[in-house]
Amino acid sequence: MKAPAGFVAVVLLLVSGTTTEPLCAQTVTAGELAVRLAGMTAVTGYEQAMVDTLLTLLPGAVRDRAGNAVLVLGSGPPRRLAACPLDETGFVVGRVRADGWLTLRRSPARAHLLGPLFDQQLEGQRVTVFTARGPLPGVVAVRSVHLTRGRGSLSQEPFTVDDAYVDVGAASGRGAADLGVGVLNPVALAKHPHRYGSDKLAAPWAGRRAACAALLAAARRAVAEPGKDSRSGSTVVAFVVEQQLSARGLLTLATSQGPFAESWIADDSVGARAVQAADSTPKLSAVGTSPRAALGQIHAWQISTAYPGTAVETVSLEQVEHTGAAIASWLRGETGR
Amino acid sequence: MRTLGLAAFFMTTAGALPAQQPAPVAEAQSVLAPLVESYGVSGMEAPVRGTVERLLPQWARAKAETDTAGNLWVRAGKGDPVVVVVAHLDEIGYAVSAIRDDGSLEIVARGGFFPSLFEAEPALIHTGAATPVPGVFMPRDSIGPTPGRTPSGFRVDVGTTSRAAAEALGIKVGSTITMPKQYVRLAGTRATGRSFDDRVGCTALILALRRLDPARLRHEVIFIFSVREEVGLEGAAAAAAALQGRPARVHAIDTFVSADSPIEPQGFAVAPIGRGPVVRALDNSSVTPPALVDSLARLARARNIPLQIGTTNGGNDGSTFAPWGVPDVAMGWPLRYSHSPAEVVDLRDVAHLADVVQAIAERW
Repeated sequence: MKAPAGFVAVVLLLVSGTTTEPLCAQTVTAGELAVRLAGMTAVTGYEQAMVDTLLTLLPGAVRDRAGNAVLVLGSGPPRRLAACPLDETGFVVGRVRADGWLTLRRSPARAHLLGPLFDQQLEGQRVTVFTARGPLPGVVAVRSVHLTRGRGSLSQEPFTVDDAYVDVGAASGRGAADLGVGVLNPVALAKHPHRYGSDKLAAPWAGRRAACAALLAAARRAVAEPGKDSRSGSTVVAFVVEQQLSARGLLTLATSQGPFAESWIADDSVGARAVQAADSTPKLSAVGTSPRAALGQIHAWQISTAYPGTAVETVSLEQVEHTGAAIASWLRGETGR
Repeated sequence: MRTLGLAAFFMTTAGALPAQQPAPVAEAQSVLAPLVESYGVSGMEAPVRGTVERLLPQWARAKAETDTAGNLWVRAGKGDPVVVVVAHLDEIGYAVSAIRDDGSLEIVARGGFFPSLFEAEPALIHTGAATPVPGVFMPRDSIGPTPGRTPSGFRVDVGTTSRAAAEALGIKVGSTITMPKQYVRLAGTRATGRSFDDRVGCTALILALRRLDPARLRHEVIFIFSVREEVGLEGAAAAAAALQGRPARVHAIDTFVSADSPIEPQGFAVAPIGRGPVVRALDNSSVTPPALVDSLARLARARNIPLQIGTTNGGNDGSTFAPWGVPDVAMGWPLRYSHSPAEVVDLRDVAHLADVVQAIAERW
């Protein structure tokens, strides 16, 4: 069973949000990568640290003009795309108050797909503020339960981002600035990937991270075993940014690397369904017919999740391994799916 | 000043806070961190009691006794007047109330807190084994378009699909449940974690015991680390029943729940963190005689210890001595966001709280 000691070890490993430690392709499984990525943060529009890590983990990958991490396997037509969105709806510092508390803005602004309790998960919990000087721990203020007693009933309106006051321990705005805190610093729940049951992994955005881990493991294997690709043409493997906002990463791939004969998206089931439904989504089709059309037929590798959209979004690491194996098989041209 | 009343009133006996030397802050942290990272929901305090015993000075460890209620006693010095200093070991959390056929756990709160802070968070089930069983607090079953802030109830998922599988993990009705927790330093001398209430009080007692020379005390001082405070001051009540009217005073060392944040009403309890410990002159369970408040303030001033005086909500262990007429001079340290996973303290307050406890034992 996983113990608090292991939990702390994971925290220590991942709290920095970035890592440059190389991993051996033969020894690191998709599940292990899922745990690692689940401890990282990539707020929509602020995915650079995550992309830096992916570039380190995937030899040959480069950053494209949208900020995606992109690796091209093989050459020439036909071209295929295997992509996973890596961003998460999160927050940025909206204001540094004179008293040292920080207020927040959501990024992207709308979180309608995540439900009315998404912001409430912040209340009274640890967060990380990603300053220019590095990650800074903080907490989101919550009323002390003792001080509510005998003073009338509390509002039952869900907590929203506008109720969030982040306490990093600064006693003034200047104190916060001295810590490197500034407007637009990304802010997210402190990530502590949590193992339970025989093969469960719980973390915010665990499904999406697990999907990226499956693609990453498969791509690392393809790089390590180049002679095993029986397909003609080329496959673009990409970890794409800003999917939650405008699909800018994916559409940039379509226009810069496409057209693709087919595109495969690895994501949690909610995200995968959203991309597959993009044919009828104005957000994508309104860009013009060519970017969307350049993606070709869209398929999905879906990671099932329990408790989606919560801080304990849960995946089965066994399924992550199976998905990684399926993607690896597809990259080698052994399967059509 | 004598205008305590219902409004908040604070003073700093030492004026501006003197610069805290790093050593007291570091020592406070060295005791507080392992206490915060020990788990002990009310009724299951043994791991915390063990940590306390490990942190005691050797002489105190040799004298430590656990009573039938589970309280840990350390007696120092001899003779009257007997003074009791009490801090509680337990923390808020949940207990398993039933195990469903599908392996999920029904739970019941132990202590008062906002359940929304535990909803959809990681969980640890404490079975008595060395290693807790990990799980998750499940989100509420149904959200709907206009959900309320407070869930009507939720369960715990330990990743099993049958009652037998859950029981095979050692889980049974009565097992306690917490979130995982970690002591984390914030900026400056501030820190965050869960169960600072009342591990800070325990820290103050331990630090004071480390500094005391029991042979030089002029009277008996009984340090009690109590159990089940969060569910009705039960451990302290047992201690009070044992001591009855013997003590001249009792000092509950417990949280001063502070309104020191922008989201709290500012009518009272606004004791800023970092400006010293606080006399809980009036709370929901006791009123300290004003003469004793003044006397304690003089003692703190004589030792150059910053001290705030105020009123807050909540009860304290010392109030269980009331039936025997024992004055309760409750003290605490200012705490933000009480009973949440993100409580915040200033370590200078912790160090100074230990100074006050030491001064009480030696001089008052």
